[in-house]
Amino acid sequence: MRSAARNTPDHGTGAGSGDAVTEERDAEERDAEERDSGERDSGAHRESPGEQTIAFRAIRDDEAVDRPAAPETASPSSGLGGRPGGHSEGGPAGAGEAEDAPQRRADDADDAEDAEDAEETEHPADEPGEPGERDESDDSDGDPILSFPMPEPVSAALTEALNQLRTAVKGLHFGLDVPGSEEARKAQAAVLAQLDDYVIPRVHMSTAPALIAVAGSTGAGKSTIVNSLAGGKVSATGVRRPTTATPVIVCHPGDHEWYAQGDLLSGLRRLGEPTRDAPAGSVVLTSSPSLPRGIALLDTPDIDSVVEEHHEIAHRMLDAADLWVFVTTASRYADAPSWGLLRRAKERGARLVIVLSRVPPRSRDVVVKHFGRMLSEYGLGEVECFVINETSVHDGRLPEIEIADLRIWLSGLSADDERRDAAVKTTLNGVLNSFRTRLPALARHLETQVALRADLRSDVDAAYMGALTRIDEATRDGSLLRGEVLARWQDFAGTGDLMRTLHLRRGGAKSHQQGPERVRGLKTALRSGLEALVNSAVQQAAEEVVARWRQRAGAGDRLAATPGLGRPSEEIARRTTRTVTAWQDHVTELIRTEGVTKRSVAKLISFDVESLSLIFMIGLLGYGATDAPAGAGAGALPQRLLRGLLGAESLRNISAKARSDLRARVGLLFDEETLRYVDALDSAGIPDEAAATRLYQATYNLEVAR
Amino acid sequence: MTALSTAETQHGLGPRLAALAKIVELGQGRLDPALVTEAAQLLLRAGDRLKLSSDHTVVALAGGTGSGKSSLFNAVSGLELSPIGVRRPTTARTHACVWGIDGAGPLLDWLQIQWRHRFARASALDKGESQLHGLILLDLPDHDSIRALTDHEAHRLIQVADLIVWVLDPQKYADASVHRRYVTELNRHDAVTVFVLNQSDRLTPEEQAECVADLEDLLRREGVTHPRVVATSATTGKGVDSLKAVLAESVAARRAAYQRLEADLDRLVQRLVKDVPELLRVEPTVDGARRAGLVEALCDAIGVSALGEALENVYAVRSDQWVGWPYARWVARMRPDPLKSLRLGAVKDDIRGLVASSVTAQPAEVDNAVQALADGLTGGMPEVWRDGVREAARSRVDELPEALSGELSEVAPPLDRVPVWWWLLKIWQYLLVLMFVASLAWAGAIIAYGVFKVGRPPSEVLGDVAVLPWVGLMMLSVLGLGLFSAMASRNFVVLAAGKERDRLEHDMRRRVGVLAQEMVVQPLERELQRYNEFFGAMAATRR
Repeated sequence: MRSAARNTPDHGTGAGSGDAVTEERDAEERDAEERDSGERDSGAHRESPGEQTIAFRAIRDDEAVDRPAAPETASPSSGLGGRPGGHSEGGPAGAGEAEDAPQRRADDADDAEDAEDAEETEHPADEPGEPGERDESDDSDGDPILSFPMPEPVSAALTEALNQLRTAVKGLHFGLDVPGSEEARKAQAAVLAQLDDYVIPRVHMSTAPALIAVAGSTGAGKSTIVNSLAGGKVSATGVRRPTTATPVIVCHPGDHEWYAQGDLLSGLRRLGEPTRDAPAGSVVLTSSPSLPRGIALLDTPDIDSVVEEHHEIAHRMLDAADLWVFVTTASRYADAPSWGLLRRAKERGARLVIVLSRVPPRSRDVVVKHFGRMLSEYGLGEVECFVINETSVHDGRLPEIEIADLRIWLSGLSADDERRDAAVKTTLNGVLNSFRTRLPALARHLETQVALRADLRSDVDAAYMGALTRIDEATRDGSLLRGEVLARWQDFAGTGDLMRTLHLRRGGAKSHQQGPERVRGLKTALRSGLEALVNSAVQQAAEEVVARWRQRAGAGDRLAATPGLGRPSEEIARRTTRTVTAWQDHVTELIRTEGVTKRSVAKLISFDVESLSLIFMIGLLGYGATDAPAGAGAGALPQRLLRGLLGAESLRNISAKARSDLRARVGLLFDEETLRYVDALDSAGIPDEAAATRLYQATYNLEVAR
Repeated sequence: MTALSTAETQHGLGPRLAALAKIVELGQGRLDPALVTEAAQLLLRAGDRLKLSSDHTVVALAGGTGSGKSSLFNAVSGLELSPIGVRRPTTARTHACVWGIDGAGPLLDWLQIQWRHRFARASALDKGESQLHGLILLDLPDHDSIRALTDHEAHRLIQVADLIVWVLDPQKYADASVHRRYVTELNRHDAVTVFVLNQSDRLTPEEQAECVADLEDLLRREGVTHPRVVATSATTGKGVDSLKAVLAESVAARRAAYQRLEADLDRLVQRLVKDVPELLRVEPTVDGARRAGLVEALCDAIGVSALGEALENVYAVRSDQWVGWPYARWVARMRPDPLKSLRLGAVKDDIRGLVASSVTAQPAEVDNAVQALADGLTGGMPEVWRDGVREAARSRVDELPEALSGELSEVAPPLDRVPVWWWLLKIWQYLLVLMFVASLAWAGAIIAYGVFKVGRPPSEVLGDVAVLPWVGLMMLSVLGLGLFSAMASRNFVVLAAGKERDRLEHDMRRRVGVLAQEMVVQPLERELQRYNEFFGAMAATRR
């Protein structure tokens, strides 16, 4: 707030204030500069010759480049959908251009005089306060500025760390809808965009022209300020809200090329001029000689109008900017969205300048003081602040006197390499610092997702495990020996068929004629009883899974709504029949092969395997545990009979085998059922558990590389 | 005329609110809880508002900070009541100005307007403003500043005011904070919403026209069909009279309160319908075929027909012991018994004990039967209701197997039952055996005495050889009679068992039917009834 209420231009303080440049960094930069100049002396411009040409052309002053550059910049900008070939390519072309440069410099110098004349005759009234500032920027333009790359090893390590980070962030996938996943997805997209648009290019070219984003509420006059600073109508203004839909970059003509082919905001299409319905994901690039070199203004859409896409675009622009100029107005400065933006700036550690616009002159002091106090309370008291009075706007521009402060500040920034560099570094550092919290937050959210998925999965397992246990119990406590099974069993036993399954050997191999239909009846009843048990358990399990999922926040609820999950699958009846029949066959086979009859019995008696296996099943399922003590009562009839026939040992073996086989078969059936839930889970995307670790690792590597 | 239209509106509103109350009651647990809460709140608010003064119309001036709500408030009231200023946000507490204070007190209390912020236009002062009589004008705090994040007063009053005047200004008229949070949400409230473009003095006439057109366009895009936009300037006083005229019209009609509630109700119903898309009526009773299907399935769970069959078979087999020909039985008993040879003789008793056990129902099958019924009935129902019907059908399914077992055990005869006529036949058979033995003895005596003359026969009849053929004939006929009666009674047994089986099955089915009706169908039908009531209420809440 030091310069907040200042009315008169004060170059010196404006230039030095607010820059918290540490001793170390100064030293570092000096080193870099020395090395750079050394390289330049030797004439070896290995790094990005494309940018170097800008440096050469920047030697003369601002207007100088205007005229000759106009046709040249127009031709690339007209075809800016793709990059202009020569500049983005490597060595040879760039080298050629470097050789061209001296020649062009001479041309520039020639043209410069004409241009200067023309400029002054054309717009004498428009830029009253300018010549003085020009002089200052001329001074600084004397020495070659702009793009010199970072020290190579640092840059390389950092770039690699950033690329690794980018891969890690890109690899994140938030499939489940838990509270916060939408935010996480947005945060992921924001980080990715910021890496591509800003961090990676910025690390390559730490002192490339600084991009200054002008952001704020709708109707705050962002475009008007940009127009006024650019000295021409570069961005549309008007009474319609929201006014600006497509971001506009305005730069000095000399920097035009750099932005046209630039790595900054590389994901956005460059447009030559603002159009009413520009496609999303584009940016208007235009140049104005009124702007000093080395900085560009970025007019952003609003952050609080009804058109919500604008907010996203604005935030993306801010993420790619080196400095933020936050514009608010006398009637807006207490709006919640504005303070949201300030908080964002604080979180990102971005260099921030505040413009309080449209201030009625008579209440200026009160408003400025109040706003200042609010800022101080918010911990932003140190931020530079400019005040613009409410005045009439002509041709989308403010009177020059109102923006004089701002222009001086810009020129200072343009002139003072060190200061600009420091500002850029502050923001870049702030962004990298913000990764310390933003990336772990993403990783944590991913871990939440992984945990939730595990929970949902375990819900399914628990439900079906419960069903299996229920079946197990029901086949042990005799509850199966009820209803039709019991009736058929009584029929079978009471009519003497039970006895008839045993024949004395002496009687010869007399096949039993009676009651195959009764045997079949009992078998069918047993099968349908078992089927009913399994079906009922499956039904319950399906309902339980859905109920459990409903209790889980968000994602579970959504998944539970997947049609058909609340009930067993369509083909469950068929599968159950198959399972139970197969088990019955297996038991018959067991009795046939393993039911080694006691030798003493075998001498006397033969028996019908089919019937005996039925008796065995009744005993196994109906009367529960086979190792009940002998003579435990009438209930254990089949066991006693079987024990008598097969011997206790053999009976126990077969029982154990039959039981585990049933369990295995039902388990298999359940597994097939469970698959549906797993599919539903998978369809939401499988969060990669390692992705979180990779992200942590990448974040750590980035810290190391810095 | 006013009174009439008021009554009319009220007439329409009352039943709809009653239907909403029904929805809240029945929708508990079946609708989105947030929606139910909101509906309950609306009911409460409607009840309160309709009880309070219907002569007053609550008009709220709402808008963002710095749009000039307080200036407009002062301009309309003609007094410097609400402090205006350049600091943002300016107004922290709601100010109220009442035209015609009589009866407004409770309403202001309900609105929670502090005493020191209430102002009244004495009727003596405003002779010329009699058309505003009944107006309660509220100057709300803003809803979009950082202070409003923690203070919800504006939000609360926007929800309850009868008429909302959105105070917008050229700078802020397209703010998301107004449009997303309120205008889009309340886009059907156009009867009780007025938009004011304040600070119009800052624009040239052309700019103002463009601005108003843009605003109207924006509002239409957001679903406000007939936006009422008034351009005003609180500083120059331009347009304030048109605003007053709009207010006077609403105040005179005395309908804003109802219209507001109706609009709220419409909005809520719209969301309810979105939550429960299908409005279909179901048959509130379980039809005969389904009922029969349920009984059949339950009978299968008990094994009624299997029981009948078992009864028939077991009787037929067991009757041999009683009514069969004794000689055949004795011969059969001579055969070696495999169980005996295994020393498992006791198993036989077990088998006998087995057939004495009672009737039971298979729980899993009972469960499935009920499930199938519920599934069949709920086709096409919304998911939550389907669950509800299923729950209702299964509400007593745990007790059902026990109840069925208990009920049917009463009717099911134990399989080891012995009818009296079996005893009689058994006696008859033994009598025949006895006669055969007696005849045999007689024949022996005749042979001994008559043929071999071993001694003097004690009776003449024992020594008369001529009687012998007759005695032989008698023996044969006694045997034949035994055989015949055994065969006949066996047929009788089978016949009787068949009859018994029919009777038993019929009886069981009847009882199962009664139990099913009581424990499954009735709760189910109650739920279906509730379902119909709910959707009836849903239909009734619509206009």
